[in-house]
Amino acid sequence: MRRMPVVACALLLAALGAGCATGSTTETQQADTSAPATISYWSTGGDDETAIFQKAADLYRKSHPNVTIKVQTLSWDDAYAKLLAASTARSGPDIISGGMTWTIQFGAKGGMVDLRKYGVDTTLKAQALPAQWDSAISPDGTVYGVPLDMSTVAIYYRTDLFEKAGITSFPKTWDELTAAMDKLKASGVKQPFSMDWGNLDWIGYFNFLYQAGGTFYTPDCKPSLNTPAAERALAYWVDLYQKYGAPTDTVAAGNALATGTAMVSGGNWVAKGIDLDFPDLKGKWAMAPLPAGPAGPTTFVGGRAIGVTSYSKHAEQSADFIKFMYTDEAIATMVAEGKNRNLPYIPPRPDLIPSSTFTPEQSAVFAESIRTGVSAPGCPGWDESAPDVSKQLQSAILGKADTKTALAEAAKIMERNAG
Amino acid sequence: MRDRLRRNLTSYVMLVPFLGLFLGFLVWPLANSLYLSFTDFNGVNVPEFTGLQNFRRLLFEDDRFRHALMNTFVYVIAAVGLGTLFSLALALAFSGSSWPHRIMRTIFFLPSVTSSIALMLLWKWIFNPGDFGLANTVIGRLGLDTVEWLANPSLTIPILVLMSVWGGMGYGMILYVAGLNSIPHEYYEAARIDGATTWNQFRYITLPMLRPVTTYVVVTGLITAFQVFEAVYIVFRGTNNIGGVLDSGLMIVPYLYDQGFTHFKLGYASAVAWVLFLIIFVLSLVNLRLGRAVKEL
Repeated sequence: MRRMPVVACALLLAALGAGCATGSTTETQQADTSAPATISYWSTGGDDETAIFQKAADLYRKSHPNVTIKVQTLSWDDAYAKLLAASTARSGPDIISGGMTWTIQFGAKGGMVDLRKYGVDTTLKAQALPAQWDSAISPDGTVYGVPLDMSTVAIYYRTDLFEKAGITSFPKTWDELTAAMDKLKASGVKQPFSMDWGNLDWIGYFNFLYQAGGTFYTPDCKPSLNTPAAERALAYWVDLYQKYGAPTDTVAAGNALATGTAMVSGGNWVAKGIDLDFPDLKGKWAMAPLPAGPAGPTTFVGGRAIGVTSYSKHAEQSADFIKFMYTDEAIATMVAEGKNRNLPYIPPRPDLIPSSTFTPEQSAVFAESIRTGVSAPGCPGWDESAPDVSKQLQSAILGKADTKTALAEAAKIMERNAG
Repeated sequence: MRDRLRRNLTSYVMLVPFLGLFLGFLVWPLANSLYLSFTDFNGVNVPEFTGLQNFRRLLFEDDRFRHALMNTFVYVIAAVGLGTLFSLALALAFSGSSWPHRIMRTIFFLPSVTSSIALMLLWKWIFNPGDFGLANTVIGRLGLDTVEWLANPSLTIPILVLMSVWGGMGYGMILYVAGLNSIPHEYYEAARIDGATTWNQFRYITLPMLRPVTTYVVVTGLITAFQVFEAVYIVFRGTNNIGGVLDSGLMIVPYLYDQGFTHFKLGYASAVAWVLFLIIFVLSLVNLRLGRAVKEL
């Protein structure tokens, strides 16, 4: 009798094992492509972004009356978990968009369709920014997702404070940046530099690393952080915190400028909010691309990727809609709606950046940044390594480790996760 | 046997809805997570049985888990210890039935009935950097330099403890007030007649009589503190990591979330969950046994 609970537990576990093992990733039966189809598209972001993608979907319907696309918003906070749950249950949206490497990760686990099957790569590759395209596709060349939009970094600076310090043009190199910070400090500016996007994080270091001639990985995906260039970049970045007092706790760019910080590196979305949220700053700020390092100018380019789920019954129509998202008419529609909503939208085609939702001057700065753009590494193990690499960088900034040790530790982590 | 079944059939039938929900929403997910903890389940593919590999890696190879475990222990000891102490102090101060006492009790109990998400956002604003947060405004008025509260690793756990104690002491206070009011007044009268000082009355009457309440407050406090999540996730999460600067706020549940829902290692995350369950189970057992042993002394 005493053995009963043990036996019951064993049976329960066995049953569970059997139950769990019934899941599979067999190919989904496709619906008739000539029949009416309702496609569900889950878009990670805000409702305004959903609205501009819905505009493109409505436009698509005009030329494809049989296809109805419904776009729904997923907030950044829980999108990943919801998409994972949908993948596990093999029921959910036909199209998803989210973080640049998400489609690679879902694809590697059998959750996404290789879009090469529908010719998406041949149509879109030539139109996309090569660096961003490389970042969105898997290391083996499989195309589980393609770039949906772009985001990049620029410097936002207070023209009045620069004038007061006697700086006539925005620094174009690291040395000029350092000289400008010294002048600003001498003129009474307490906080010459601050970072919004990428503060204490690998994204912040990314720009300096590439500007110094370093990389996270070699072209064949071997970790390459343990180099003199990487060390030089980290030393310069650490100096911004330790010597020039850049805050380690992130202050939003607009707030920083409004309270007397002379320059802030921030994402492209910052440009949309400064005049609106801080009317007193009108006419007192401008934008510039990041100063170039010893190896030249480089700027991080991020964005979202879009792909088709492997459990979609309408994979072909979904892939066709993704191709449509790159057309002139679709982008024009999205830009028009984005302007109505004051949305910071940069299309995934570099040739159309001048017609983004920003002012022509702002678009020109972003176009210049993107011209020298490099995207996040798409190498195996990077997503797993990124948080730990950030921690090693933090230990250098906070004085817990010297730059060489921090980079050596980061390189070890990347090597371990590279498999 | 059959007679007994017939006699109790109505009761069994009435139990079926609850039993269905209990099995479907508690036993099944629990047993499923136990099974998954022995697999390499990644959320999409069919899970493959890997034996004790997850637990071996977790306990002997995973530095981040050890860091999370250490942070959690420090946090739990401080949060539960101070939380219990402040709950008792508040109960002693405001256990009366006068209006001022009732109002104070209501004020201190308010955080317990407020959404924890709202509270955490409030704390985040309080500790905003630069001149924007309340904390920096206050110390600025005192002529001190601003502090980067949320980016200073040595302040992370003290801030988490502060948030926990502030949010939880009202609930503990209500339990202690109920306990205090159930102690017969005759005990104190007899002690006073025998010449006991106020401290002696507290030490030899109040504290021993409050032991069941203390056990309850400590055990529930331990369980809550071990499962801390919102505070870390909302207040300290950075762009790319969940545990704050240098993982200074990384606790077991945020780590579990990170492994399960950021890195798709659901098998491994299940193993973390079961290790957490065992820790809470053993500590609660020790606490209950200790309470019983002290009572028998």
